[in-house]
Amino acid sequence: MANLRRTWMRRASAHGAFWAATVALAVGLIMLGDFEFENFKGSGSRFTRFFTRMAPPDWSVTHLVLRSTAETLTIAFVGTLLALIVSLPLGFLAASNMTPPWIAQPTKWLLGFIRSIPLIVVAMILVTAVGLGPLTGTLAIAFHSVGMLGKFYAEEFETADRGVINAVRGSGANWLQTVRFGLFPQCVPQVLAFTIYRFEMNFRDAAVLGLVGAGGIGLYIQMYIGGFQYQKVAVLLIVIIVVVTALDQLSFWARRWVR
Amino acid sequence: MDSSSSDGRPAISLRGVHVLYGRIMALDIERLTIASGERVFVLGCSGSGKTTLSRMIKARVRPSAGKLSVLGIDPCALGRASRSAYERCIAMIDQEFHLVPRLSVMDNLMTGALGRVPVAASLLGWYPLAELERAEAILAEVDLEGLEGRRVDTLSGGQRQRVAIARALMQNAEIIVADEPVSNLDPELAEDALELLVDCVARRGVTLLVNLHQPDLARRFASRIVGLSAGRVVYDGPPEAFGDKQTEFLYRAEAPDFKVIRAVKRGEAGAEPA
Ligand SMILES: Nc1ncnc2c1ncn2[C@@H]1O[C@H](COP(=O)(O)OP(=O)(O)O)[C@@H](O)[C@H]1O
Ligand SMILES: [Mg+2]
Repeated sequence: MANLRRTWMRRASAHGAFWAATVALAVGLIMLGDFEFENFKGSGSRFTRFFTRMAPPDWSVTHLVLRSTAETLTIAFVGTLLALIVSLPLGFLAASNMTPPWIAQPTKWLLGFIRSIPLIVVAMILVTAVGLGPLTGTLAIAFHSVGMLGKFYAEEFETADRGVINAVRGSGANWLQTVRFGLFPQCVPQVLAFTIYRFEMNFRDAAVLGLVGAGGIGLYIQMYIGGFQYQKVAVLLIVIIVVVTALDQLSFWARRWVR
Repeated sequence: MDSSSSDGRPAISLRGVHVLYGRIMALDIERLTIASGERVFVLGCSGSGKTTLSRMIKARVRPSAGKLSVLGIDPCALGRASRSAYERCIAMIDQEFHLVPRLSVMDNLMTGALGRVPVAASLLGWYPLAELERAEAILAEVDLEGLEGRRVDTLSGGQRQRVAIARALMQNAEIIVADEPVSNLDPELAEDALELLVDCVARRGVTLLVNLHQPDLARRFASRIVGLSAGRVVYDGPPEAFGDKQTEFLYRAEAPDFKVIRAVKRGEAGAEPA
């Protein structure tokens, strides 16, 4: 009993120390940084002003907004698809149970490098190289997603049951057949679920990409907010919220369907 | 089905084979010869080396010393391509059946044929008609008709066991190695599954090597019993001669006294087949 209490006390104090250290770190960082809390003063009324100016929404731009939303969806969809196609083999090469360490490790580094470049930077570089428009946005989304998807696929492949893979290999299957029939079937649901999830995220990312001229709805976000046309911004927000919610639901159904 | 007319060459032959894991001697077999078409049941308590023996035959474990010959081939001396051809000749049934989850019964069966069908077509799930017909015949043989479209993860334990047997048959191997194939089944199902396996194997004249924990089942289905203890062969003879005494020696908690068990063997049967 005393023992139990002592264990509990030790655990509780360890938790307490952890949280105290975390909060102290945050406060320290804030004090180092240039946080101007006085700016909060009067921000409440500015918020309400922003929202009251949105009403009523200016539906005259609906057509434009829908068309550019469709473009953003296309960017996200095609970008995710390209990323899927590139990431599957890369993830496979990076999986330490599938390839020797001198292939797996460098591939992991490559994926980490791709991940480490912020999407907006990728987009800006591509805009200078490829030019403005949705093609650039698609490429940027694809490139950035490869870093994430490749890493995830690799981790998924690494959890595959070795015994099943050996059983397929042991019946005389060659390397490709072993991957196709021993490895992939085990990983399909998770791979699909994460790819769909990535697609959702890519739609939101692609919405912002227009800010640097990479196509889609972002162009109008920038134009209307910059031009104080809040009633048009309202239409933008409504359409984005509806699309994101719909995607959310679709992806839920899709993930439930693939088991 | 083309296999194993006894042409004199033994299916499996071990001479002075040692398998070492670090400093543990997992297997230490002076001499063991299995003729083609035999049904050998390997008995022995946990850790006696049964799994090591079957994995060695499947070329997944190398002997540290000695001479191993399977179907006239030394599995340790194989290159990449010939190794896959070799593996195709030896089918393995595991304790966990290691079926491919999410695939149908039929797709699982066809994985047994992957070594001999056109690669590109197989990747798309297309197989030669003759192979599909073979699979159908085997499904009927193991009494899984009508389940070919079912996903294996929706099957019962006994049904999965039969899929594992069917996949091994589909491989058209010359030797079937089963490592405690029925340990995951309840006693009745275990008996049925063994009977099915032995029947299918007998029909094909294939060599069978089964690791088992149930001496009574071994006695019923084996043509020969091999008893392992601490990596050594302590019994090798016909099932009729493997009585309660031998069982007791083999499964005794203390390290078995090899001399005693040899004496028992000499006294009651002694015959070493082929
Ligand atoms: N991969 C391994 N590494 C180290 N020791 C092992 C390994 N596999 C088996 N052994 C040892 O070899 C001996 C025989 O094991 P095993 O062949 O699995 O016996 P059985 O199948 O009869 O239970 C045991 O002592 C076991 O601990
Ligand atoms: Mg074992």
